[in-house]
Amino acid sequence: MTEYALELAGIRRHFPVRDALGRPRGAVRAVDGVSLRVAPGEVLAIVGESGCGKSTLGRLALRLLEPDDGQVQVLGQEWTTLSPRALRAARRDAQMIFQDPFASLDPRMTVAAAIEEPLILHTKLSRAERAKRVAELLARVGLRPETAVRYPHEFSGGQRQRIAIARAIASNPRIVIGDEPVSALDVSVQAQVLNLLMDLIREMELAFILISHDLGVVRHVAGRVAVMYLGRIVEEGPAAEIFAAPAHPYTRALLAAVPGQGHIQAEPIQGEMPSPIAPPSGCRFHTRCPYAVARCSVDSPELLGAAHKVACHLAGELPAAAPFAEAHTGGERLSRLAAHFHREEA
Amino acid sequence: MSVSVSTIRPPQSPARRALSAFLAHKLAMFGLLVVLVFVAGAVFAPYLAGADPIATSWSAIRKAPSAAHWFGTDENGRDVFARVLFGARASLAAGVIAVGGALLIGVPFGLIAGLAGGWVDAVISRVADAMLAVPFLILAIALAAFLGPALENAMLAIAISASPIFTRLARGMVQDAASQDYVEAARAMGNPPWRTAILHILPNIAPSLLVQATLSIAEAIIAEASLSFLGLGQQPPAPSWGSMLNSAQRFIENAPWLAIFPGGAIFILVLALNLVGDGLRDAMDPRAAKR
Repeated sequence: MTEYALELAGIRRHFPVRDALGRPRGAVRAVDGVSLRVAPGEVLAIVGESGCGKSTLGRLALRLLEPDDGQVQVLGQEWTTLSPRALRAARRDAQMIFQDPFASLDPRMTVAAAIEEPLILHTKLSRAERAKRVAELLARVGLRPETAVRYPHEFSGGQRQRIAIARAIASNPRIVIGDEPVSALDVSVQAQVLNLLMDLIREMELAFILISHDLGVVRHVAGRVAVMYLGRIVEEGPAAEIFAAPAHPYTRALLAAVPGQGHIQAEPIQGEMPSPIAPPSGCRFHTRCPYAVARCSVDSPELLGAAHKVACHLAGELPAAAPFAEAHTGGERLSRLAAHFHREEA
Repeated sequence: MSVSVSTIRPPQSPARRALSAFLAHKLAMFGLLVVLVFVAGAVFAPYLAGADPIATSWSAIRKAPSAAHWFGTDENGRDVFARVLFGARASLAAGVIAVGGALLIGVPFGLIAGLAGGWVDAVISRVADAMLAVPFLILAIALAAFLGPALENAMLAIAISASPIFTRLARGMVQDAASQDYVEAARAMGNPPWRTAILHILPNIAPSLLVQATLSIAEAIIAEASLSFLGLGQQPPAPSWGSMLNSAQRFIENAPWLAIFPGGAIFILVLALNLVGDGLRDAMDPRAAKR
């Protein structure tokens, strides 16, 4: 069996909710039993609406939040039981890129200081060697090495995200988690930054987890997709299959909702996502599912299947969905933009 | 590939950018000029006064301002101009030293409370709240009365009374900074907590502390004048604006210059310090950075 870069087993995290007097009033079940595996060099996208727990899952995977239950294994090493000191050393292997490059860089640190920090923490390089490596990293992400002396506020959003990427790969990690890494950027810049990320993933054989709500972006880069709804994974499989033949009614609705995408035939879903404090009984999607039967409100479906897994009692019985029309995907739009803007830098 | 940031322009650190914004702030510059005039007056008082601030003269009692005595003379025939100049020493020293003390007392507690959280935070915060519940001047007066009348004791009383403001401010800023992405990023990178606190949090809260310190100097000067007015600060015959105002009370109708000059000095210095503080706040506010 190959060693996975990252393996999550039964990860659970509930945030207690208290009333005005501080008494526990329940819990937000942000992540409620998620298992995932990511192989080296693989790009796994985690998609879902706001509030489905995908960002929390990313933080749990890096132990930036402590899971209530479940295991996290990074390169075969169990992370949930590591001491704080051992965890800090282990962080060398698993880094994160945050959504907002205006917030994730310390405003009072130069670019050089920011990129140098992981080198100080995780390597024994001398000052001169670190400076050389910072220059290499800046060049690698498409910024001029002379910019190292500048401060984050002197850069555009795309440039800042490049700096954040340089910082994330400085310690030569094996895993990078990108929490909506391009959502805060202009569409033209999104394509450039995504292309940079894809190049780095290929070159460094990174395991990459892309947390995103933008299916166009996901279509463009992901090898595998996991769809989250109310803290659980409802469908997981190769990206091509998920986009061609979505099996879960929720996935179908998500794909049908992509702008400019009128071809997929999915029953519209109604209403808002229910509160994660009191998730529906049985299948959590049954309150909005156009196909729901009596059993759905009682039994919680397991995530079943080989490569393409679905958590739906009716999987296989639903009418086939028309494929996600390639010509109209955001991925296509991004590819065209990427070609168009290729020579123009941010 | 290239970037649009010009390589000719020197890199702009946030501090440098704040400084240039501050230097461009006209009101703040005016305030700073006034403060510097007061500082110069205090430092060079022996050369500028032209008279001994405590030398009495029976031949010049309560004389109106004239060429010989620009600000007139007081009930003991002392030169008011000289006393205002020397009084600036007590006021400025009290302001700066008391606020320095308040920072030294208040900020460490605030950092500890903000970073530690839990019961440590609860204890420190409740003590600070209790101190803030008592009006600043009342607390300073009570402490000064307890410590005994002397300028040093007044400074200590003001420092203690002003410290909970810094504790609260530092605690809030630390908590705010700790929830920022760049602090989470620092943790994700593998920074130990102390390194995050010193390298990432402290530099980001220092500007707010500086602004508050400037505004607190103005408050401390008023507090020192109030304590001296009540006889709890600078002891006679040494000059202080507060004690000058106190003795001026009895002569307010026929010798108003005894009250006008020390009172005006307090008013102008405090106003100028507030202008400087507001200017610093504007200059360091990241939301006001782009204009």
